[in-house]
Amino acid sequence: MFLFNYRYRLKCIFKDRQMMFWTFLFPILLAILFNLAFSNLSSSDNFLKVNVAVVENAELDQNPAFTEALDGADDLFVVKYTTRAEADALLADNQIDGYIVFDPALNLVVNQSGLNQTIIRGFLDDFVQSSATITTIITANHAALHNGIIAGITSRSEYLKAVSASQSSPDSVVNYFYALIAMTCLYGGFLGVKEVVAIQADLSDVGARINLAPTNKLTVFLSSILAAATVQLLELIMLLAFLIGVLGISFGNQIGYIALTCVVGSLTGVTFGTCLGSIIKKGEGLKIGILIGSTMIMSFLAGMMSADIKYIVMTKAPILGYLNPANLITDSFYALYYYNTHTQFFTDILLLCGFTLFFSSVTYFVLRRQKYASL
Amino acid sequence: MVINVKNLVKRYGDLIALDHFNLAVQEGEILGLLGPNGSGKTTAINCILSLLKYDKGTIEIYDQPMSPEAYDIKRQIGVVMQNVAVFNELTVYENIDYFCGLYVSDKQTRKKLVAEAIDFVGLNDFTKFYPKKLSGGLLRRLNIACGIAHKPRLIILDEPTVAVDPQSRNNILEGILKLNRQGATIIYTSHYMEEVEQICSRIAIMDKGKIIAMGTNEDLKKMIKSGEHINLELLNPEHLDLSAIKALPHIISAELTDHQLVVKSSRGKNNLIMILDHLKDQNIGIGKIYSEPPTLNDVFLEITGKELRD
Repeated sequence: MFLFNYRYRLKCIFKDRQMMFWTFLFPILLAILFNLAFSNLSSSDNFLKVNVAVVENAELDQNPAFTEALDGADDLFVVKYTTRAEADALLADNQIDGYIVFDPALNLVVNQSGLNQTIIRGFLDDFVQSSATITTIITANHAALHNGIIAGITSRSEYLKAVSASQSSPDSVVNYFYALIAMTCLYGGFLGVKEVVAIQADLSDVGARINLAPTNKLTVFLSSILAAATVQLLELIMLLAFLIGVLGISFGNQIGYIALTCVVGSLTGVTFGTCLGSIIKKGEGLKIGILIGSTMIMSFLAGMMSADIKYIVMTKAPILGYLNPANLITDSFYALYYYNTHTQFFTDILLLCGFTLFFSSVTYFVLRRQKYASL
Repeated sequence: MVINVKNLVKRYGDLIALDHFNLAVQEGEILGLLGPNGSGKTTAINCILSLLKYDKGTIEIYDQPMSPEAYDIKRQIGVVMQNVAVFNELTVYENIDYFCGLYVSDKQTRKKLVAEAIDFVGLNDFTKFYPKKLSGGLLRRLNIACGIAHKPRLIILDEPTVAVDPQSRNNILEGILKLNRQGATIIYTSHYMEEVEQICSRIAIMDKGKIIAMGTNEDLKKMIKSGEHINLELLNPEHLDLSAIKALPHIISAELTDHQLVVKSSRGKNNLIMILDHLKDQNIGIGKIYSEPPTLNDVFLEITGKELRD
């Protein structure tokens, strides 16, 4: 009976086009939209070099140290050597952030103030200060030129060592996709509602027919739930494959733990639906409405629409984060992606197991009833 | 005894849906539960099937107490619900196979039973159709097939012909008679008295959660005073003395509308001849004449004071 019902329930779920759209295609469409919207978000954090022009004249030729220093800062600047007239034209067209000219002193010409102009200014100040220091030292002690003191002035030493908590770099964008997976897990609730409705005599006519049969209701229900969880897990795996293979989202390389998160997340989502479906006695439309509403709120708080919300929740009301299955699923994936240890991951997984147990228990206590007060 | 229900009481708050309901069903009969909407037919069926909780009373099926866990009893029962109860995602064949599979685990046996059920309801050309593609009549037939595919000894049909076209209705009624001939005991609930009269060997009339009369079609009609309804077309009704007609023996009522005289007589012999003789004596010409026996509606009307379809 268990396998017989399992096979037919799989068939019913796969042939339910509306259900397949919301639980499978909709998350993929959202992922594509997220990818389009966030594709430039990470790159916008990258440093863009400052465009600067240097006026070629006789004074510049007399300061080869400056040209050498500028060439050494090629990670900061894109340098164009040109005439003053052309430099003025480039500045007017905003093709450069400023130009440097020896006139005869070292001057910076800009037409607005901003970060890039401050960077050029900083470089020039550093050069002028170093030059003045070297000049002073050589004037006072000419031997310094030969015993390495001058080299010491131009070098910078780091006395603190930064140790990363991860082999991965922090990435706020992946969190949006992890929250999307969390939403997909909770959308498994649609399947849970469908299975509860199909088995309860007071919720559907087929439920009444199943209750009339000489079969153990809980056996039928467990196999139905297993079918729902199977479909949900398959959908989740396909979504992951799409995110990794097509959109290039990183999940780290801990496949076993990722699979564990998917299994637990799927069970949490499906049992969330069975719980809602069994305790809400009104029509299926209301059940679905409440399911969508609550899933959206949980996903929002988990940072699906704005990463700042997740940060605010975790700093102002962390308990909300721990009571939100969507946040726990999101955190599980992020912990696998970012942290080298598994403390956070296992905390999240245990809490998710707790939620699954709670949802299952509520469902069981409602479903174990064999007779109905009204149909 | 197939079903034995004693003193069944079911309340919905202050409303008494079943009021000390008693029912005994014998092996091999077709028992009709007839009553207006809201009389308690479906509630009684759902209580008998252990779907609904009840407040008081006992229910035995095949001499065993009925309960949700009485799987041996359930295995022998087939139910055709009032509403079509099938999965829209499964084909005709798959639906029948699924519901039959809840009773029969052996695959080969089930295959044979499903084929027989499809043949029985005449859905051979529609096995790969999904329910949404079926007409109302075909859908009802699928509903029946899902309920009877496992060859139950006791079949309960709860208003299976609601919203069905006349042709499909006849097919369904013929099918029920065929099932009965094959040995099944049948309980058939309906508010269509013609159907009940047509197929049931015994009829229980329900009102307000109680059985108010029970017996064969003929037994029930004998319980009431009303006899036949005599309709006469009068050629010269202006000469008729209606009070004289009413004064004749066994006449309950007489009404004249234009040329149409309708006389209700009580049970008795030769009422029609007596009326014809009287009209002849009065020199009243007669056109068409026809006489109707009393209906179950008359039975219901006389017992409750209201029409069956009120």
